[in-house]
This record gives sequence, structure tokens and C-alpha cells, in this order.
Amino acid sequence: MKNPGRLWAGWARVLICGVCLAVLCGANGRIAAQTSGQQAIVQQASGQQGIELAAKEDALALPDAPLPAESVLDRSEALSSSSSFQASALNQPPSSGPSLGDLGLTPAETEGSAARQALMDRRTHMLKIHQRLGLITVIPVAAACISSVGAPPEKGNYSDTTSRDLHIALGATAVAMYAATASYAIRAPRVSHEPARGGVKWHKYLIYIHAPGMVLTPILGAMAYNQIASGQKVHGIASAHGAVAAATAASYGAAIIAVSWPIHLKF
Amino acid sequence: MKKLSLLAILLLSLSALQHLNSQTPVPDQTWKLDQSTLTYHMSHPMHEVDGTSRAALGKGVCHAGQCDFLVAAAVKSFDSGDSNRDLHMIQTTRGAQFPIVSVRFRLAQAALNSPTLDCELEVQFAGNTAHYTHVIFQQSINGTAHHITGVVPSTVSDFKIDPPSFLTIPIKNAIPVRVDMVWHAQP
Repeated sequence: MKNPGRLWAGWARVLICGVCLAVLCGANGRIAAQTSGQQAIVQQASGQQGIELAAKEDALALPDAPLPAESVLDRSEALSSSSSFQASALNQPPSSGPSLGDLGLTPAETEGSAARQALMDRRTHMLKIHQRLGLITVIPVAAACISSVGAPPEKGNYSDTTSRDLHIALGATAVAMYAATASYAIRAPRVSHEPARGGVKWHKYLIYIHAPGMVLTPILGAMAYNQIASGQKVHGIASAHGAVAAATAASYGAAIIAVSWPIHLKF
Repeated sequence: MKKLSLLAILLLSLSALQHLNSQTPVPDQTWKLDQSTLTYHMSHPMHEVDGTSRAALGKGVCHAGQCDFLVAAAVKSFDSGDSNRDLHMIQTTRGAQFPIVSVRFRLAQAALNSPTLDCELEVQFAGNTAHYTHVIFQQSINGTAHHITGVVPSTVSDFKIDPPSFLTIPIKNAIPVRVDMVWHAQP
């Protein structure tokens, strides 16, 4: 004969165990919901920049009194609604669907660099000045080419002439402007070590013609000027001044066209 | 008596586990992007430029009749045939700071085999998010391959990008992106 007291005690033990299990399961679910809620908040906050957000993260990372899941969700929603632009601005994945990590992208690939962006901004700024100065330089280069007509001595007149002086002045201006233009391209920060492709490749190749030309042309011009000033006919290497200048101007023009030509005629 | 207690505990544990399992989301089907060609088109009175990326990654997860898709590509993976222009594009679109362009969309699982897909796209690019509704994609199914083509009608202003200019003339606002993708369902 079973003892009814022991029987009740047994049933009570079963009930207690069951209740414990049920409570544990419920608590697990609740804890999981709360943790995911906090993760969502931290995830959103971590995407934002600045000390204020770091402080937010810290605050969120602190152990807090257990909150009802609804409250946590409310906080999460409030945060997301107040900073939805910033959250989206930093490629934060939404709560549902695959994430960038699911695609195999590493944080190094998905996280941007403000410093690198600043470097690229600086490069673009310098190249824009390079472009503008380069286009302006066309004016003195063209003017020097046109004024060269009056530079050679006429019919044995080796004295100084205004037209020759004008040519010298325009040539000097062209060289100075060219140097200023080149300096911006040279000093622009390099952001890629890949070989150049497209029009810019020809733009760079043509440097090998017009850069030495811009150095040689004034030297040969000065030699020619000295020969004329001393009553001599232009001779020797100085006689190449005109040809070198023409090749320089032509390659300079080609370098501009290389980066300006309509793209549907791809190089 | 002990046996009875143990049985009761076991049953309760099983039911609890079953309850937990039912809460865990199990994807019914996943999709993988196998091939893709994304091409943006930029117009300027002096230039017509196409920049293409074949490096997009994509995944879709279907659950409870709804499929969430994500397609992402590195901004620097777009090639217009001119390295200087590509670097300028990255700078203009703040690609160093926001290196990934991503597109999310949701489709009903039942609609995945239809010849046209009407999508609502969420595009994250250049640090901003734009939504495009009723973007129609054409679909042809060849075996397990789902070939999808279409155009995303994006514009420069959608992403608050300062339009680059040449000879003081800015590019046109529209930068439509042609999409050509092949997806495969995974078991």
C-alpha cells in the first residue's frame, strides 16, 4: 500500500520541476529577445560616429536592470527612428534578410575610411586646379606660337624688336604657367598604384614629349636670341627652337584632347 | 514514483525544446547570385560613359513565403575604361568612406518564377539610402538558372551626390543602372 503523503510529495516534485522548466524556457526566450534587442541598439549605435555615440555604446554595454522585452524594443525603435539616416548612411543591414557578412564581405571591405576619402578629395581638388590651369595655359602657348612669326630677324635686321620681345614674354609666361600646371599634377596624392587606363594613359605618355619640350624650348630660344643679338644668323642646335616648340605645343594640345575626347571613341 | 517523475520531466523538456525550435527561423530556401553585370550610364554633352562591375555578390533567403535578397558590390569595382575617371567617380560618390553599394529587395516566394518581377528596391550608396518602387525586372528561367535583367532608374540627386562637371557643365542627373544577373536556388 502506497503512502498517500509520499505520493503527493512525488507529484509536487514533478510539478515543481515542470514549473521550473517552464520558467527557465520562458526566461530563455525573454533573455534572448532582450539580448537581440540590445545587440540591435549597439549595432545601430556602433555605426554612428563621434564620441557621443561611443558614449551611447558604453551606456548600452553597461549591465542594466532587466527590462521587459517591449521596453527594449521601444528603445530600439526610438533610436532607429531618430538616427535612421545615420544608420543607413553607414551601410547598416536591416533587421531582416541577409547581411553583408552573409555575402562573404569582411568588415575591412565594408568599412570605409574617412582619411582615405579626405585624401581622394584632396587629389581631386588638386587635379581640378591642374585641369583649369592647363586649359588657361593654352592661351599663352597659342599666343607664343602665333607671335613667333615676328620673332626672327627680318632682312638682316638683328636689332631688338618689339615683336621678338613680345614673343619672349609670351613664351616665358607659357613656361611659367606650364610649370604651375604640372606642379599640381605632380603634388596630387597618389591613391592608386594600378596602371593608368584609357585617355589618361595617353595624357601621361605625352608628358614625355611636352615636358622636355617645355624645358628645351626656352633654352634653345635663349640661344637663338643671343645669336641674333650678337649679329649672327641662328645656327646650330638653336635653329631647332621653332621645331621643338611646335612639337611641344602639339603634344600639349594632344594631352588635353586625350582626357577630353568624347568617351564613345574609347582609346 | 521516480520513474513517473523522470517521465514527466522528460516530456516537459521535450515540449520546451520543441517550443524553442519553433522560435528559431529556419530558411526554407536560399538563393545565390552566380553571375552579374551592373552597368551605370552617365551622360554629359561631351561624354557618354558606361561603368561596369562584374564583382557583385548576392544572396536571397526565403522564409514563410517571403524572400529577402541582398546584392552588394564594391564601388571601386566599376570600370569605365578610364582609371582617372573611375578614381574621380569613387571620390565623387564618397566611395572611400562608403565602399559598398547594396540593394535590398523582398519578393513573395510564389512570385519567384514569374516572367516579370515587380520589386521595391532599397539602395544604399554614397552614404545615403534611396527607395525605388515598382522596378520591373524581366526573368527567364533556364533549368535552375534564373536570368534577370532590368534597369534601376537611379539619379545623382537620389544619393545627394554633387554632380561632377566638365568645362563647367555638370553631368545629367539620371544615372540608370542596367542589371543583368543569374541566380541559382540552393538546397
